[in-house]
Amino acid sequence: MPQHAYKYSAAKLLRHGLTRGTWPRMWRQPEFKDTYDVVIIGGGLHGLATAYYLATEHGITNVAVLDKGYLGGGGSGRNTAIVRSNYLTPEGVAFYDRSLHLYNTMADDLNLNVMFSRRGHLTLAHTDSALRTMHWRAEVNKLQGIDSSVIDPSDVKKEAPSLDVSPNTRYPILGALFHPPGGTVRHDAVVWGYARAADHHGVHLHQQTEVLDILCEGGTGPEGKGPGGKVTGVRTSRGDISAPIVVNCTAGWASLISNMAGVPLPITTHPLQAAVTEPTKVFLPTVVVSGSLHVYVSQTDRGELVFGASVDPVGTYRVNGTLEFTEELAGHVLELMPGISKMRLMRQWSGLCDMTPDYSPVMGFTPVEGYLVDVGWGTYGFKAGPVSGETMARTIATGKTDEMIAPFNLSRFTEGDLVGEKGAAAVGH
Amino acid sequence: MSSHRLPPQPGEVIDRSTVINFTWNGQPVIGLAGDTIASALAAQGVDVFSRSMKYHRHRGIMTADHWDPNLSLQVDDEPNVRAGTRLLAEGMQVSTQNVWPSLQHDVGVLNKAVGRFLSAGFYYKTFMKPKFLWDNVYQSVLRKFAPGGRVHWKTSTHGAYDKRYAHPDVLVAGGGPAGMAAALGAAQAGASVLLVEMAPELGGHLCWGNDAERAALDKLTTAVIAEANIEVMTRSTVTGRYDHNWVAVMQGDHPLAPERLVKARVGSLVVAPGLIERPLIFSGNDIPGVMLSGAARRLINLWAVKPGQRAVVLTANAEGDAAVKDLQAAGVEVVEVVDVRTGAMVASAVGKSRLQKVVLEDGRTIEADLLVTATGWTAPTSLLNMAGNRPVYDPQAARYFPENLPEEILTSGGIAGNGSTDELIAHGSATGVLAANRSLRLRHSRRAATARSRSPEGPAPEALTDTRTPLRREAHPECYRASTHGFVDYAEDVSSKDLIQAAGEGFDSIELMKRYTTVTMGPAQGKLETVNAAAVLAESRGMDLADIGTTVWRPPFAPISLGALAGRIFEPVRRSALQDWHEAHGATALLAGQWVRPDHYGDAVAEAQNVRNGVGIIDVTPLGKIDLQGPDVAKLLELVYVNRWESLKVGRVRYGAMVAEDGVVSDDGVTGRLSENHWLMTTTSSGAGAVWEMLEDWLQTGHPEWQVHVTPVTGGLTSINVAGPHSRQLLERLVSNVDLSSDAFPYFSVRQGTVADVPDCVIWRIGFTGELSFEVHVPSGHALAVWEALLAEGQDLGCAPFGVEAQRILRLEKGHYIVGQDTDGLSKAPTAGLGGLVKLDKTDTIGLPELRAAYQREDLPILVAVQPDDPTVLPEEAAQIVDGQTATILGRVTSSRHSPTLGRSICLAQVAPQLAAPGTVITVLMADGRRIPATVQEHHAHLDHQGARQRV
Repeated sequence: MPQHAYKYSAAKLLRHGLTRGTWPRMWRQPEFKDTYDVVIIGGGLHGLATAYYLATEHGITNVAVLDKGYLGGGGSGRNTAIVRSNYLTPEGVAFYDRSLHLYNTMADDLNLNVMFSRRGHLTLAHTDSALRTMHWRAEVNKLQGIDSSVIDPSDVKKEAPSLDVSPNTRYPILGALFHPPGGTVRHDAVVWGYARAADHHGVHLHQQTEVLDILCEGGTGPEGKGPGGKVTGVRTSRGDISAPIVVNCTAGWASLISNMAGVPLPITTHPLQAAVTEPTKVFLPTVVVSGSLHVYVSQTDRGELVFGASVDPVGTYRVNGTLEFTEELAGHVLELMPGISKMRLMRQWSGLCDMTPDYSPVMGFTPVEGYLVDVGWGTYGFKAGPVSGETMARTIATGKTDEMIAPFNLSRFTEGDLVGEKGAAAVGH
Repeated sequence: MSSHRLPPQPGEVIDRSTVINFTWNGQPVIGLAGDTIASALAAQGVDVFSRSMKYHRHRGIMTADHWDPNLSLQVDDEPNVRAGTRLLAEGMQVSTQNVWPSLQHDVGVLNKAVGRFLSAGFYYKTFMKPKFLWDNVYQSVLRKFAPGGRVHWKTSTHGAYDKRYAHPDVLVAGGGPAGMAAALGAAQAGASVLLVEMAPELGGHLCWGNDAERAALDKLTTAVIAEANIEVMTRSTVTGRYDHNWVAVMQGDHPLAPERLVKARVGSLVVAPGLIERPLIFSGNDIPGVMLSGAARRLINLWAVKPGQRAVVLTANAEGDAAVKDLQAAGVEVVEVVDVRTGAMVASAVGKSRLQKVVLEDGRTIEADLLVTATGWTAPTSLLNMAGNRPVYDPQAARYFPENLPEEILTSGGIAGNGSTDELIAHGSATGVLAANRSLRLRHSRRAATARSRSPEGPAPEALTDTRTPLRREAHPECYRASTHGFVDYAEDVSSKDLIQAAGEGFDSIELMKRYTTVTMGPAQGKLETVNAAAVLAESRGMDLADIGTTVWRPPFAPISLGALAGRIFEPVRRSALQDWHEAHGATALLAGQWVRPDHYGDAVAEAQNVRNGVGIIDVTPLGKIDLQGPDVAKLLELVYVNRWESLKVGRVRYGAMVAEDGVVSDDGVTGRLSENHWLMTTTSSGAGAVWEMLEDWLQTGHPEWQVHVTPVTGGLTSINVAGPHSRQLLERLVSNVDLSSDAFPYFSVRQGTVADVPDCVIWRIGFTGELSFEVHVPSGHALAVWEALLAEGQDLGCAPFGVEAQRILRLEKGHYIVGQDTDGLSKAPTAGLGGLVKLDKTDTIGLPELRAAYQREDLPILVAVQPDDPTVLPEEAAQIVDGQTATILGRVTSSRHSPTLGRSICLAQVAPQLAAPGTVITVLMADGRRIPATVQEHHAHLDHQGARQRV
């Protein structure tokens, strides 16, 4: 945090309370310049984190983050805010463990309480085969120093007493993978934290600024776009910006934005639905996930149960939500916790997920010089936000693909080298 | 507590002869039949119903309806009951939710003292350090302040709820005068109508109106009840409108189900929910005794409850004026009428557990225990929002109006404009006629377009043009905030000052403001709060309200219980036609995905040995079975399997494996060609549904020109595997029209024939157990007869059933891998050892590009058979294979059993390629920490790798 920044603290809260003084803006309303060193499209978690690490770790501060709506209005504010690192592959574990670490220290790093709640994460097994997979994950995790183990139904009951662990249910709980470091984070606060800190370091955040085109020259496609060309800037609803580096962090809209640079992506956009109940007194201490029932649930500090599911099978940009989703969700949740049938669903919504064929992201350089992507995060972009920003910033600053994200290069789709974190990531949350 | 019950009122809905006993915070109290919980308590003199979420302020009746933010109470084991609409019932235990230790002495009120420090988003700005205090202390304190009632999760009503489908031509949301008239208009025009009203009675505002309004209501009610085409649901809510007028109704008046979800495919949806009265923002606007005009009028007219003694009425409209009359008639002293239309205004209210005085803008202070406000309306446009419509603000009328509605949605009543009772009824009626016309035309066109449906009766009705006289937009002053600050969101304790602070901090769009301050995030989801919040934002930014926009209203319109949404879930456990027999004969049940299966009949090892030495039969019905017919089946198989199919001859079966687009093995099974254009495909048990969907997906989207008919027949055919050296001898006794000899019916062949007098059975000769074996697919209705015949005829051969566990032992001895156990979400074809099967020179197969790349790689793990050097040591499945004493992972054991045939432990394992050579000694890390040596075998099969036993 630079010297001029306004630091939050209990003392400040006290002073403002006593003087009834106004709080300063969390971020400025910057002037719209026509030239930046780096333009980041998408003012969500990934875009803002990239900007923040560019400014703080690499001293690159002449950066603009553009968003067609408001900060964090996409997946960053629509996800169910679960974090964990008990993945299956060593690469996955290393990546997400770094992210979890960054979340752990984020409140202090960003001087904003992101309410990281390290409450433990249970992945339930309802079948022999699921239990076998849990054992596998636990063994891999243990060897990599991740706190993760398989527990039996009576211990599941201790962690989450409202779960019905009796053997006579439709989907009996045979055990669970327990991951104590997993938990939840206040997702909006993460967005604001990165936005505020990036702003303090000089980054310009432009909301209500829609990118209409990516400007290129020298490429093999029309208007100089496409492979072999290079980026010169972007055209926005507020005017043109010239910039040698343009980064696409637009999740559900990633493929449409990428087409503007003549770089088609193997990405389809699917809605992921979620819902929340009315608040009650807190009774569910952990995050509970059931892969086979396509449901995950946690209870916020405000007492609402937050539910998520798997992506809708049909691709669309609409976020209306369906009745069937709430019916199936409620049915499955009640199979797990029959005692909460009188709780009421208060709101349903959905977000857009950018799905790739191998359930892994696309990160780094593209065939168009200066045009980079951090997309394809599908259903788990929130967990990966901090480490994605860190590695993308490093890649931009050094001009070299960071080792951690090398497997996620775009060329893998043409060179037959898909990553396949499906076994771990597609399980959900 | 003194009684505040008034003498009988002309429109009252209470039954004075029926007393209802209940308890309030443990104390016995009485009410009357027809009372809501809130009206009964108010009649007993209760002022304070709850404490607010953050500051624990005293809160009383505000709106006396479903949206009342202060009337969420605990009733028995049910949290967050809306006391403003829930009817009182005998024996209810009603209590406040957000207090400790009691409503009168609530410790949380300390927050009020420090309230100035708890401004919007305060928790984001503190508790960052030290971290251990956040982890261990602050967080749990914050959680203690969670609002809401208590879930009694030890009691369950899961499964007590019901669902229903409905197909009304017209659904009317809202049973006020316009809605009732719309229902009548539509029904008389020949449409079937479902009329849904949230309150216990039809009538809307007529219920608490004057004599003329009640007379109009009587007339409407009589007509609605007499109309056979109208079904009425009261205490019910239209909770959502989804694509193509798929409408969810939460029915609350069903005699048996506590709540019932009615799913309606609706021709025309008439949205007539009336208007929601909006509170005014001023200091003290949440003190008990400050209430909206609708609340005061309902208390007096419906439940005969006197809302106070000395009243100030703040009025900007006719409803406020009517409230003055009602109050006076009820004997309340109206000490001041503050008429906004003349420029007068309230500045603030003062009081703690009850209003004491009202301060006016002109500086006067008036003692009063009741302040009734009538300052405007919010149009509940949620259902229109869900149809993609964004309402538009009209500053003259000081409210939002829908615009550009789709054909299948119409509005009437207050949401559409103002009118006298007669005008509302006329507009409603015309709306109903129009809705019926559009719906009947739609029905006609659908029937005409669908070849197999009933032919439409006669010609399509002529399309009516919309000739309705629009309802007026009455001018109304824009009243959002007085000169002082007050609460915008009562449920969340968010004040106008919080909103202005948030806007100043940069949260200056309505969505950001909502997320930062939590305004509109409570149970009413903005019904009372959204417009006031937008008005404060407009004020702080110096913008017009019309340019601010609102947050998006999403389903459900009103919260809906999880139990009702779930209903009785239709996910039955699948049972083969033989499962009853298995259970009657001592089988231990194994839940395997959707199916329940016999794990063993007492001794799995003996069962396995019986197969090796004699003959056994196993029920393998869950095996996915898909019937494929048509001239292009072979093309489809070439596409989905990695191997070749065009050349397969009639009467032959072949093993096939599928990979996904990333080259990962996704399913496998045997497929046979029964005749030129008729094939039977089998899949893994767990993959049956996914493979079927995948085939349909490709046929419908990738190759619609192919002629293939796909029929899943998994349950229709019961599959019995007859395995063991004596299997042919046994089957020959039961099969009459198929030559089972090895020459006539070689390995990997298929025949159709009669088994135990059951014709049309499919028999194929394959082997998963490694023994001579035949798989018989029997039409399920006859499965038990065939099964019992096999046992009876095989008695002398020692024929006995075997279960899943014996089969697992047998297949592991034989080295057959199981997709999903020995492979996983990362295992590409080379890992599974599909080398010889995969044809990389094919023109099109799903995943082919990835497969070509995969076969160039040398770093993929390899599936191998492994035997621990100590034959008595049995590694756990999922045990890791590591590099010596290090933590480096080089693979894992995927399957592991003790082999009765070999008398030792045997495994399949995925290992790094450098360990795959036969004879390599690897290190297995056991769960108890031991590291044990094991040796990689030459073949997957631990016995009979040449297949001599199954080819006899």
